[in-house]
Amino acid sequence: MFDLFHNLGLGFGVVFQISWWSPWWLYGLSLPISINILMCLIGALVGTLVGVLPGIGTVATVAMLLPITFGLPPVGALIMLAGIYYGAQYGGSTTSILVNIPGEATSVVTAIDGHQMAKQGRAGPALAIAAIGSFFAGCVATVLIAVLGAPLTKLALAFGPAEYFSLMVLGLIFAVVLAKGSVLKAIAMIVFGLLLSMVGSDIETGASRMAFNIPELADGLGFATVAMGVFGFAEIIRNLDAGAEMNRDLVQQKITGLMPTRKDLIDSAPAILRGTVLGSILGILPGGGAVIASFASYTLEKKIAKNPSRFGRGAIEGVAAPESANNAAAQTSFIPLLTLGIPPNAVMALMVGAMTIHGIVPGPQVMQKQPELVWGMIASMWIGNLMLIIINLPLVGIWVRLLRVPYRLMFPSIVIFCAIGIYSVNNAPVDVILAGVFGLVGYWLIKHDFEPAPLLLGMVLGPLMEENLRRALLISRGDWSVFLTRPLSAVLLAIAAFLLVLTVLPALRAKRDEVFTESEN
Amino acid sequence: MADTMGHSATTTRNTSVVIGFCLLAVAPQIFEFIWSIGTIFGWGAGRGPATVVISHATALLAGAPGALIGAIGGDTKKASSEVLLALIYSYPLFAVAILTIFMTIRSAQDYVGGIALMALALFALWASSDLQGMRGFSFGAGTAPRMFGGLLVALGAGIALTGLLTDGPAMAHYAWRGPLFVMVSIVFFALAIRPLGVVVTAFASFLIAAMGTHETRWVEAIIVGACLTLGCALLFPYVLGLPMPMFPRFLVQ
Amino acid sequence: MTSIRALAAGACAAALASLCGFVAPGAAQTYPTRGITMIVPFAAGGPTDVISRIVTAHMAQTFGQSIVIENVVGAGGTTATARAARAANDGYTLITGHMGTHAASVPLYPKLAYHPEKDFEPIALLAGTPILILARKDFPPKDLKEFVTYVKTNAEKVNAAHAGVGSVSHVSCELLHSILDIKPVGVPFNGTGPAMNALVGGQVDYICDQIVNAVPQINAGTIKAYAIATAERNPSLPNVPTTAEAGLPAFQAQAWNAMFAPKGTSPAIVASLNAAAVKALDDETVRKRLLELGSVIPPPADRTPEALAKLVKNEIAKWTPVLKPAS
Repeated sequence: MFDLFHNLGLGFGVVFQISWWSPWWLYGLSLPISINILMCLIGALVGTLVGVLPGIGTVATVAMLLPITFGLPPVGALIMLAGIYYGAQYGGSTTSILVNIPGEATSVVTAIDGHQMAKQGRAGPALAIAAIGSFFAGCVATVLIAVLGAPLTKLALAFGPAEYFSLMVLGLIFAVVLAKGSVLKAIAMIVFGLLLSMVGSDIETGASRMAFNIPELADGLGFATVAMGVFGFAEIIRNLDAGAEMNRDLVQQKITGLMPTRKDLIDSAPAILRGTVLGSILGILPGGGAVIASFASYTLEKKIAKNPSRFGRGAIEGVAAPESANNAAAQTSFIPLLTLGIPPNAVMALMVGAMTIHGIVPGPQVMQKQPELVWGMIASMWIGNLMLIIINLPLVGIWVRLLRVPYRLMFPSIVIFCAIGIYSVNNAPVDVILAGVFGLVGYWLIKHDFEPAPLLLGMVLGPLMEENLRRALLISRGDWSVFLTRPLSAVLLAIAAFLLVLTVLPALRAKRDEVFTESEN
Repeated sequence: MADTMGHSATTTRNTSVVIGFCLLAVAPQIFEFIWSIGTIFGWGAGRGPATVVISHATALLAGAPGALIGAIGGDTKKASSEVLLALIYSYPLFAVAILTIFMTIRSAQDYVGGIALMALALFALWASSDLQGMRGFSFGAGTAPRMFGGLLVALGAGIALTGLLTDGPAMAHYAWRGPLFVMVSIVFFALAIRPLGVVVTAFASFLIAAMGTHETRWVEAIIVGACLTLGCALLFPYVLGLPMPMFPRFLVQ
Repeated sequence: MTSIRALAAGACAAALASLCGFVAPGAAQTYPTRGITMIVPFAAGGPTDVISRIVTAHMAQTFGQSIVIENVVGAGGTTATARAARAANDGYTLITGHMGTHAASVPLYPKLAYHPEKDFEPIALLAGTPILILARKDFPPKDLKEFVTYVKTNAEKVNAAHAGVGSVSHVSCELLHSILDIKPVGVPFNGTGPAMNALVGGQVDYICDQIVNAVPQINAGTIKAYAIATAERNPSLPNVPTTAEAGLPAFQAQAWNAMFAPKGTSPAIVASLNAAAVKALDDETVRKRLLELGSVIPPPADRTPEALAKLVKNEIAKWTPVLKPAS
């Protein structure tokens, strides 16, 4: 325990390190500033901005900003990049709630209930609870990294291909559970998403699959492209339908309080707690952990709620739980990087790049060899979360006011922001056209009462599922029983099967009853 | 492709749905034909329109039935991609269209939705038909796409079936103005961003998109569009450091 | 906000510089008169990117012009390379190619949109990154000799990991397998990170990977190294023997990075770029940072455009027979 305080002390010492700044225009006067706090603030601000702007992904931004950090001291550089990463998690919920456009895979679930809340005039409480939940989760997860970082690493290493495959199956079952309409349609959407995810080159043979010799498709469809299409553009097109003006005007008149009421807070407190726990655990798993965390926590809330039908219609727990989970996961996903030196996702890989440029190659000994770096980063995360909530709560008022902008001006602006965002990911104009096509697909899906969230989840988890299935079968030489003989994998599959039965049975019963009553008429 | 079926369907007569399915069944062929028109003007390096029409027509009318009979007779000659398209995609959809004539559709929303998903899945099955299948115990490149394609065909059929068995909503109404102008705006943006730069493209796209609704007031739209363009021109390249051209190429060089 | 402002200032300066170039095109000028774009065909932060940044930073000082790195990812780097091949050959668009994009891609991608020899003017070899044979820490063989016998007798059982088709770890392991004349199961991963995670976690048996990612893991004892596939031992891993010392001299592989310009770039420009690159490689700080990465800096004789052209030719000849049957 003493070690922990010592280490945290070291970390905070690093963050609050004061240097004297004497610009020429102060004529010899020096000002005390802390470069690392400044970096943290810049990171948090840029991250929020990136999260809020639709289309611009964290990976793209960190990649673009990486060169700037080469001129900075390594600790400051990493604190800034980390700030961008979790700042984007805060910002990502904003567009999900306000305009139903999830900027990151982790905020897809937030859009489901968050946007409904906004439509009911409760955008303020939704945004505020997202920020509060994220802050709480961020604080808890930071402590967790400090206390349990090293032992938790074992979890990341215990997950082999078989376990990942089972986890992905579980994740897809979550997607079925979170659908509000027909289970059959939800499953169909997941499979559609899986098919879309298979466009591009095959991981094992490199063969081009369903890419029709279009170079931009050679590496598959981007998440931003499809998400902007089926959520962003489709939503816009639908809102332009004749007769939709009435509803929009209603939304603008209904806006009530900015902050959550006492009841909202009581309702969402347990959800935040559960979301934090789930997110913290799943976040440690490299690749897809954070996405599954947000879906899992939503599913959990829906399953244990007294009245599950509220979900999908503006339940505040449906915002609180996934937002807490994704922020907790964003923090704990640093564990493999800090304890093993292995980057668990693309943003972290870029951070490793930043360290490499500074001559630090992270490895298992990075905690012993670079304690200032590791503990400084951990301490900065807590400070960053504090900054983010201070930045975000006052912003709620501004965001809500944005909803009062007439839609005739709002929608072309969203179109432009989305288009620039998608273009900037790969500098590829074809991506923008593809997003437009997916906008039409999304419009069609809405018209036929298909939900886009399961589709996106299928698309995100699809490659992970297929790759890990193939890896597991390659290692086991085609023996399918590995999924059941490895204990972790078996447990995950059992949970998945249990959940599926729980979801499908009532749905089947309802359908059967419906059929029977129909035939009696 | 599904937009070809934007008519309401009654529960008794399904002519428009049937015509829609028939169109859907030849949609890829039509799309390739439209695409191939570009080769006349020297765009792209595909086949000319005449070749496209002839090859698809022969595949649809003669090649595919021949291959089908051949396959029954145990002949495993490799079929061309046009013939495969006709076999895997067009024929099943024609069959569905013919069946639809005799059906009583109780929920057009579900029925048409299910069939369109089926069409997508069939198309994916065709697109992955040239990929390698299982190699011993390990998956080939085509195994997973075909597996999920098959699954989606079944699910689409299931959804279509619920549309026949249970009552539900009819086809929803489609608007044309919003989708059209938003799409034109997006396509214009994609084509213009490289040669014309952010400033011109963002402003023009904004105004094109604004045409999507009759509520637009032009003076207001032009002012907001100009402010937005200025904001984007500062925000993206400078604050976020995303490299993109600012002004038209011919002005800069 | 210092960094953001610095960036904005830099961008403004670049814009101004290009404007000046526009105003006085007729003035007497020597290459380069404006900023140069260097395409890096991989994500920022990877070995190729880091090497490019270290070298171009020094070259930019020499030229007194900025060199902007543009990371273009996709299809094992071939997307970016195809774009560079089609770029204007005025010396303002260059590319850092590597073993994958300029040699192994030829047999790997039959429909490659460029040819490394015909579509590029070689400028200079920048650095080589040695390749190691690595295994999980509890893999039975103790040294390279035992490793060779073990994988030969257990070729049906062992699992070799690699970071995706066309990656350095994939092609170099294919070379090793062709030398040993075995075909073990190759387990593909999505990049070096996940592959290393699986190796540390003991999910797979061995991998052939670049030194950059491996040094800290070897030092921490989470994985073990059998040999380094270069002629000499590497200063960052003095205890790891070379393949020649350990008894497998045929396995020689290096992930090299080199600078290319589109075909038809004038010889004067190529010469001035080469001179700047050579000067960078002789600079003390550049050398120090490259060596920290475990890179091998080419000796002066290997830094000429002619030597690079020969290297590309030899490498294509070396990889084609190894990779042809695989694809």
